[in-house]
Amino acid sequence: MRTIALLGQPNSGKSTLFNALTGSRQHVGNWPGKTVEKAEGFFSQGEDVYRVIDLPGSYGLTANSAEEIVTRDFIEHGNPDLVCIIVDASQLERSLYMLADFAGIKIPVMLVLNMMDVAEQKGKKIDVEKLERLLNIPVLGFVAAETGCYPRFFETLERAMKKTAMISSEKICAVLKESTAVTESAANGAAEGRGVSLIEKIGRLLDGIDFGKRNSFWIASKLLENDSLVTSEVVLSVVPERWTKIKKILDEEGGLVTGEAKYHFISEVLRGISLENENVKPLSKFDRIATHRIWGKLVAFFILVITLAVSMMIAMPVIMGCFAAQGAAVPHVNEFCASLGLWPSVASFINGVVVDGLAVTIAMMAFVFSILVTFGLMEDTGYLARSSFVFDSWLSRLGLHGKAFMPLVSGLACTGGAVCGTRVLDTRGQRLFAMTLLWSIPCGAKVSVVLFLASVFFGSAAPLFGLIYVALIFASFWLSAKLFGNKLVPVNERVGMIMELPPYHKPHWKNLIKTVGRNVWSVFKKAIIVIWFVSFVFWAVSYSSDGLVTHSLLYRIGGVIEPFTQIFGMRWQLFISYLGGVFSKEASLGVMSVVFSSTNDAFSLVSRNAAGANLGEMMRAVVTIPEALAFIFASMFNVPCVLTMGTTYRETHSVKWTAAIAGYYFAISLGLAFIVYHVALWVL
Amino acid sequence: MFLSEMKENQHGLIRHINGDSRFISRVVSMGLPPSSPFLVLQNDGRSPVLLYSHDTMIAINRKECAQIEVVFV
Repeated sequence: MRTIALLGQPNSGKSTLFNALTGSRQHVGNWPGKTVEKAEGFFSQGEDVYRVIDLPGSYGLTANSAEEIVTRDFIEHGNPDLVCIIVDASQLERSLYMLADFAGIKIPVMLVLNMMDVAEQKGKKIDVEKLERLLNIPVLGFVAAETGCYPRFFETLERAMKKTAMISSEKICAVLKESTAVTESAANGAAEGRGVSLIEKIGRLLDGIDFGKRNSFWIASKLLENDSLVTSEVVLSVVPERWTKIKKILDEEGGLVTGEAKYHFISEVLRGISLENENVKPLSKFDRIATHRIWGKLVAFFILVITLAVSMMIAMPVIMGCFAAQGAAVPHVNEFCASLGLWPSVASFINGVVVDGLAVTIAMMAFVFSILVTFGLMEDTGYLARSSFVFDSWLSRLGLHGKAFMPLVSGLACTGGAVCGTRVLDTRGQRLFAMTLLWSIPCGAKVSVVLFLASVFFGSAAPLFGLIYVALIFASFWLSAKLFGNKLVPVNERVGMIMELPPYHKPHWKNLIKTVGRNVWSVFKKAIIVIWFVSFVFWAVSYSSDGLVTHSLLYRIGGVIEPFTQIFGMRWQLFISYLGGVFSKEASLGVMSVVFSSTNDAFSLVSRNAAGANLGEMMRAVVTIPEALAFIFASMFNVPCVLTMGTTYRETHSVKWTAAIAGYYFAISLGLAFIVYHVALWVL
Repeated sequence: MFLSEMKENQHGLIRHINGDSRFISRVVSMGLPPSSPFLVLQNDGRSPVLLYSHDTMIAINRKECAQIEVVFV
């Protein structure tokens, strides 16, 4: 088996290539001991089996962030047979920086110029064959989103595997020599020299040390750039006196000299390769509005709402169909079980766990689908970067990138789906932090439950709860930023917004739907297990042979836990309803109507008729105002729903993080209930 | 002068980047090393500056722009 590492800058189309190559034969997890996502997959070509590693996207190879450290670590110690560098052909000059930064690493390379279609739309003509001759490595002009391009990819891959060509650092080294000579003569010895003379000095000091797959030029240039990994490696490899000498040569600005040399090399390579008909045009009318600090925000809201609404309209028949099928299945299941002579509890189990769980999961997948299509579309067209640009100033106060705006707002539609949307963020820390904030953003169902309860107990004062709720959400953002912000997005790793705004292009629908479909299926597989498990627990504790809740295990548990739950102002019925809210917000009302009425209603977590007209009257009769307040405030910050837990687990690949976020929100919601209840007892 | 002081539709060259090596590395890898020519696409005095360089439209916060020395050409 051969190992290929995919290396490229964010938005280069690396993940599209990875998905197309590996299809369903992929595994996404975490790098051992790191909070960075590891995507690994396999594909066969002829008799050869390839293992593909999709390295985290980064702009260069200097190890600053956790993602860049992982990327570097794999290149240096992961023993790939080939590194496939993917660049954006429509932004070739800047994208090739990754290739220039790779020069000096002794691993075979192939270069993929992706998005050739966009480059052509921009009026660029790239002579791929000439570029291949100049660089002396296999080069491919490519469109990752078009399946028709893949036979040529495999042909180039085969050549790359046979040729085992590496990218030479000689030309960059030569550029450095030249620029240094100029600097030294101009400075007339005032400075101790720059560029190659420094590199030569460092090179001499590193003489005799084996750096494995990296040549001494590469190590020296990374030392000049103050790369943390190379610096620690060199400190351990040389005697202290030598390190002191090296240290004297280095300063904070070495990266400017090496950076300039790398871009000089790129310009030289591209001279005569890329014919550009494009004149740099001022901003288009649309971009002027889309990047305006006020209009841009309104446009972003408008586009988000429209695209979400359209994709929800497409998904709605699935949701309606699921609940209709669930209701229709009940008599058939009962009849079927009776005909086989099975116990009634079997029919109850199939209806309450298997069918209900399946119906609610498929319905929720429709939300996930619509959010992923919306985001995929925005990313594919290039608009997502514009919306990130206009909201960056708001989100940077929390330590988040502007890209987090779209997932956060989508949380108002569906928290679980929006959690999947956080993958538009570049780093795992940003993703985790955005997910943490997302759990406090109420979806439509949560808002309706809170407002329903507020109106039941406080009538016309209910809108006031809406205002308090909004204020508390912002307060929770502040708290989360204080508690998690620095751990997940370290302050010293935060660099103010410096981002590219990619050119607009048409979405690749086929590829988009395929990718979203694969993601939805993967979320479904994880979510159904969690949902069935939670459904089973609720079913098991609430089941009684005569259907009366007073004869269930739940009733007995309620009696035992009541002294504890009273601390938070919740009698056991309210506390069980609160726990029902962990399944879904509608379920908290469903549970409430059963436990308060003590009727023999079916105990269903997907009951859509739970908030019946008599529920309000029934509750007003037995629940006191301080208890009602405690329950309402606890519901505001309760764990959103079981789907959100499932998608968070799927996106973080970590039970620990999912449990930590859930624990955090249990603590906030119960803490709030405690405060509100005791203050209300004291005041009222 | 600094990048934040450039006006819309003005062409310039990056002269120097002030900051630690992390900041320098980020700016350079985004396509703005010293000697890079660029065109200012938008600078309204309050929002981040939008510029075009090395085939790419780049947005940079005002605070970061004040760390980038440029010359007007």
